[in-house]
Amino acid sequence: MNASRRLPWLALLLAGLVLALGAAACGGDDDDDGNGAGDTAAETDEGGEEEQFRVGLVTDIGGLNDRGFNQLAYQGLQQAESELGVEIRVLESKSDADYIPNLQTLADEGFNLIISVGFLMQEATATAAETYPETNFAIIDAAFDPALPNAQGVLFKEQEAGYLVGYLAGLVTESGTVSSVGGQKIPPVDRFIAGFQKGATDANAEVQTLNAYSQDFVDQAKCKEVALDQISRGSDVVFQVAGGCGLGALDAANEESVWGIGVDADQAFLGDYVLTSAVKRVDVAVFSTIEQLVNGEFAGGETTSYGLAEDGVGMGETSANAPQEAVDEAQAQTDAIIAGEIEIPETVE
Amino acid sequence: MTERERRPPETPGPAENAPDPEDAPRSFTESVGAWFGTAVGGIAIPVASTVLAFLVGGLVVAATGHNPLGAYKAIFEGTGLNPLSYISEDDRRGAWADLQQTLIIFTPLVLTAIAVAFAFRCGMFNIGGQGQYLVGVYAAVLVGTSLSGTPSFLHILIAIGASILAGVIWGGIAGILKATVGAHEVITTIMLNWIAIYGGQYLFELGGPLQGAQESIPRSDPVMDAVHLPAFPLSTGLQPLHIGVLVSIAALVVYTLLLNRTTLGYEVRAVGFNPEAARYGGISVGRSYFLALAIAGAFAGLAGSLDMLGWKYTVATNDIQISAVGFTGIAVALLGRNKAVGIFLAALLFAALQTGTSARQLDPAVFPPELAIHLSTLIQALIILFVATELLIVYIWGARKRLGFGGPARVQPELKA
Repeated sequence: MNASRRLPWLALLLAGLVLALGAAACGGDDDDDGNGAGDTAAETDEGGEEEQFRVGLVTDIGGLNDRGFNQLAYQGLQQAESELGVEIRVLESKSDADYIPNLQTLADEGFNLIISVGFLMQEATATAAETYPETNFAIIDAAFDPALPNAQGVLFKEQEAGYLVGYLAGLVTESGTVSSVGGQKIPPVDRFIAGFQKGATDANAEVQTLNAYSQDFVDQAKCKEVALDQISRGSDVVFQVAGGCGLGALDAANEESVWGIGVDADQAFLGDYVLTSAVKRVDVAVFSTIEQLVNGEFAGGETTSYGLAEDGVGMGETSANAPQEAVDEAQAQTDAIIAGEIEIPETVE
Repeated sequence: MTERERRPPETPGPAENAPDPEDAPRSFTESVGAWFGTAVGGIAIPVASTVLAFLVGGLVVAATGHNPLGAYKAIFEGTGLNPLSYISEDDRRGAWADLQQTLIIFTPLVLTAIAVAFAFRCGMFNIGGQGQYLVGVYAAVLVGTSLSGTPSFLHILIAIGASILAGVIWGGIAGILKATVGAHEVITTIMLNWIAIYGGQYLFELGGPLQGAQESIPRSDPVMDAVHLPAFPLSTGLQPLHIGVLVSIAALVVYTLLLNRTTLGYEVRAVGFNPEAARYGGISVGRSYFLALAIAGAFAGLAGSLDMLGWKYTVATNDIQISAVGFTGIAVALLGRNKAVGIFLAALLFAALQTGTSARQLDPAVFPPELAIHLSTLIQALIILFVATELLIVYIWGARKRLGFGGPARVQPELKA
């Protein structure tokens, strides 16, 4: 009885499927040329093969408009397109299941350089680099261990940017307490925080530093909670090192009328309560890596570190409300850091 | 024995209450309402919800200034499910590569959906598929990175067994709490999810007990080669399809047999239909609660090991945070109506959507990949919304009379004859 009642629906479903397939089949005949990105890419490849380099970018799960990392990487790529004349293609990863297929797609299509963004892709990139020895690979924020001849690691000296903003924080704090909200205890985050703490205490030996991790890079509520706790314990400068989650920490600073400090991208656009930002110029690193390739100097098998000297990190725009002499004094530390006169730790104890 | 054989009363669902189609003439809306009414409990609503979701998704695509049909066609081409792609030699390779990725995603979705469906048939809402999946992942990593020298086949069995056991424990905790003190499974499974997530955080973070050899990365060591699942015949590429997909399909058969052909399954369904009647009928309700959640956990835990041994091989703390396969499983079970065939189709749809909208598949000229990513999420959400509001649709279509006024009608776990 049950079965007989269902049968018509099953038939209807099958009929629907057949119709859908038929429609797809008809569509297939119509526009065969615009079918699939692979074809188009291959065609252009045949057209301008002589000198044009092809550079692909694979983002991690953050997506292109994360207002930080991936977005900056994309900017660097676009800059290379317009200034160096390379052909570019970006593949966003929606989940970790996309990493290897994305890398493989670009490698199969004959891209000269494939840049992965984010240490999460390190394993997948290493696998791809081993399989495609003729293709150059680079990864932002990670190193290859063991090194691979066709793959370059790209790291940043986050501690140098952290030091500068920490120094400024140490100068402007009135309560004598500054704090940092980390996303997770991973090396790039800790380098920022270690530099921040060193800078703050160098500016003013009396300054107390607080630090906590939200264990999240996305959920703003978590970082906000951590920041509110720090503010209630006396912090009047909150440094966020937690990507999108950290925007919640800045929000807390805004609500409680204390200073916030942005990270990765320049976050001055959020308002005058953003004292400054510890910027990590992923765009510069991506562009430089592509430039290496174009100039025939791609440093495969090596790990490149971008610091203040290379303009790979730095202090972003400062708030209009920040005391100018403090800003000047903090900026004056730049030369000393580049000259190697200041020893900045890379780990948080 | 007589108690066992007695059939619980039929669900007095809207279908049975629907008036005879030969009744007095009705308005158009009433006719459509009746159509929906008779279909409640069938497959029409899920199919209609899916179609509706795609239509709304198409409107969104059109609003962005792109051709919806072109976008959907491109997405469909990217799933590897178009049989026509296999005709020509040139397309076959690409289509097969895409299909493999679809099936890799499909595999855990089926299992986490079963984890939801099995508990649902016992009248419980298992939100804990995610946590049960994660402990399965941890167990597979633990076994897969130790016991070196074990023969490959045995090693795989131990790893899978450990994952299933971990899932059983995780689901079983919620089951015991429900059976003994009546703690609501929705609350306990959600809490157990967080324990699993933060437990994993502890295990794999820098300095954690299972963190791998690479000191600067919060990630486990990769599992040994010996414990990798064999690749599927004819599979290709750097991330080939593994035979776990067969395990997940077998699990669907096991699920159906367990539920419909065993005493345990009968008891589970009876409790799901009406716990008081089941108790009166001599069924231990508490035992059924425990077993249903423990078995649900087993399926989710199995998903964790298939992912680890099949293609992921390693787990990082960030993977734990962003993983949502257990939650997607809820959606798959909901759309699949807790039926094996339904789950199969729903999991295939969700997996295909994910693969088809991945950036590598889409020609930016047809539809920008960065929009496609959100399109798939949008369609999935709409499907669930429409499935969940099916009764609202019935209501809107003028089927109010048939539903009666005795409070909002609820979707009952169906007890088949």
